Amino acid sequence: MNWVGLQMLRNDRAKFAAMIVAVSMAVFLMQNQAAILATMLSMTAAQIREVEDADLWVTEPDVECFDQVKAMRDIQLMRVRGVPGIAWAAPLLKIDAIGRSEGGRLNTVTVLGIDDVSLAGLPRRMRVGRADAIRELDTAIIDPGGHQLFFPGEPFRPGRSLRIRDRRIRIVGISDVAAPFTGLPMLHTSRSTAAALNLGEQHMTSFILARSAPGTPPEQVCQRIQALGGLRARTTEQFAADAMWFYGSQGVPMLFMVTITIGLIVGAAITGQTFLMFIKENARPLSMLKVVGTTDRQLGIMILLQGTVVLALGSCFGSGIAAAVCNLVRTQPFLRSLYLPWQIALGTCLALASVTGVALYASFRHVRGLEPASVFR
Amino acid sequence: MSATDSTAVRCTGIRKHFGEDEARVEVLRGVDYTVRRGELSFLVGPSGCGKTTLISVIAGLLATDAGQVHLFGRDLAGMPNDERILFRRTHLGFVFQQYNLLQALTAAENAAIPLLAAGVRRREAVDRATALLERLGLSGKTGSFPRQLSGGQQQRVALARALVHEPRLIICDEPTAALDHATGEAVMELLASAAVHPDRAVIVVTHDNRVFHFADVIAQMDDGRIVGVDPRRRSGPVPETVSPTPPSPLSA
Repeated sequence: MNWVGLQMLRNDRAKFAAMIVAVSMAVFLMQNQAAILATMLSMTAAQIREVEDADLWVTEPDVECFDQVKAMRDIQLMRVRGVPGIAWAAPLLKIDAIGRSEGGRLNTVTVLGIDDVSLAGLPRRMRVGRADAIRELDTAIIDPGGHQLFFPGEPFRPGRSLRIRDRRIRIVGISDVAAPFTGLPMLHTSRSTAAALNLGEQHMTSFILARSAPGTPPEQVCQRIQALGGLRARTTEQFAADAMWFYGSQGVPMLFMVTITIGLIVGAAITGQTFLMFIKENARPLSMLKVVGTTDRQLGIMILLQGTVVLALGSCFGSGIAAAVCNLVRTQPFLRSLYLPWQIALGTCLALASVTGVALYASFRHVRGLEPASVFR
Repeated sequence: MSATDSTAVRCTGIRKHFGEDEARVEVLRGVDYTVRRGELSFLVGPSGCGKTTLISVIAGLLATDAGQVHLFGRDLAGMPNDERILFRRTHLGFVFQQYNLLQALTAAENAAIPLLAAGVRRREAVDRATALLERLGLSGKTGSFPRQLSGGQQQRVALARALVHEPRLIICDEPTAALDHATGEAVMELLASAAVHPDRAVIVVTHDNRVFHFADVIAQMDDGRIVGVDPRRRSGPVPETVSPTPPSPLSA
């Protein structure tokens, strides 16, 4: 009888197509919005997570995310280095400055000054060039978004330069770091170069990157650092989580959740309504099936199968469209970090299935309540 | 053969109402109705007299307020619902006025529905239905969809659906009402030849007095009661391909 149910569904092409389109669009909308939200939140922590050589971040006590910069005195670095269980500690300087390309394009850039000696925090992945080329004074590597902004339409290649605070910074490579939440171009340079761009400031350390000694839990080292007083120490994941929470509590996620919820409700409503209509319009054939001895259980399984087919096809199409759009969009350098986690794909499909399940149940109740004798009328 | 053994359908004192209070309508007012095995029984009467309600009760689709329905000696009301459905699926076949064919299925697939509902594998069910449709003169139409068939052809498919699982009782609700006279006559000929069998009974609800000559018995209903039973020997033409119908015990 399941086959009969599928044939009935296939035969009503208009409703079958309408339901698949509704599910597809709902799944696409939900996945797209959820992917953007997930990407935005992950971007708030991307610069933290990408520093793979350190597992501890030490900041001023009230710093909550990577974009909050409060300069630290150099003595703090010495204090951290003296904590038992620290393998090494290195400074990281972060400043924002106005950059200008040779063609006259202006934009604020984020400059990360990496410790000249250890190069802790150097990008691990490069598109063009070598990251350690920044050891040379007044050189930097730029992220793909920054390159596109300052040198639009030009292929990725080193050799161009930016003027920042009256210094000419030569681009020696293009990194492959994740796009930052701020959307600003990211320049990685040596701390010496960054300090030269930061003249007039007294302190040249924004963060202290550190590594716990082998065999010492990083959380334990964090406690020891905080026990010194005047510092806040977190593991990489703790700091990333703090950053995501900081931005996540600003209200933007709520806007995305509203859109996702609308997608869920509209998709489920259209699908459920159309499915219920499909069942109601087939009341007579279904009554006939009951008359010839089809049980409610058989009809229930038939309806479940019909609903599953609609949801499965719609979810596949919707997920496919969402993935295709995601892949298309991420070819843009500034949107390169957009991603669609499988958890979102699965979660949205399950959410829609749950809500649409109510309509399937209502359809089943309708069929169960059909009076078979009505087929004689 | 004893009287009990020869009885296919025995309804005694059937009462049934619809609605409550001021809207209450007594549709069946103590119906006594018997159909014997091998009999083609016509149930006739004016609209609203309770014919459809009676066949719904006989088919186990409606519960009665009072009275008993026995089909081949089994008390339908005493059966649990699942057993009643199984009984209906196994022993009853139906032909409807509007055919009620599924537009999504071919003629053979439509005719195979009772077998599919019984769990017979699709290929086997469709093969058996196809063979039956060929016997009913639809050789070239087994793969056609209902919209591609004439009314008479569709009713033949419905007849095949009623026969394919070899039920012991076939209930037909106005099988010729949607057909012109010639086609109705042809369908009734087919029904008389293919459905009537010594161990099977056929009940036909109809208004169409042009086909009364096919009946073994005509039971006249009015106002919720059987008001007369007219035993008669079937006078309609019987195709050569059909085995002779045994004389009705009532008409003998």
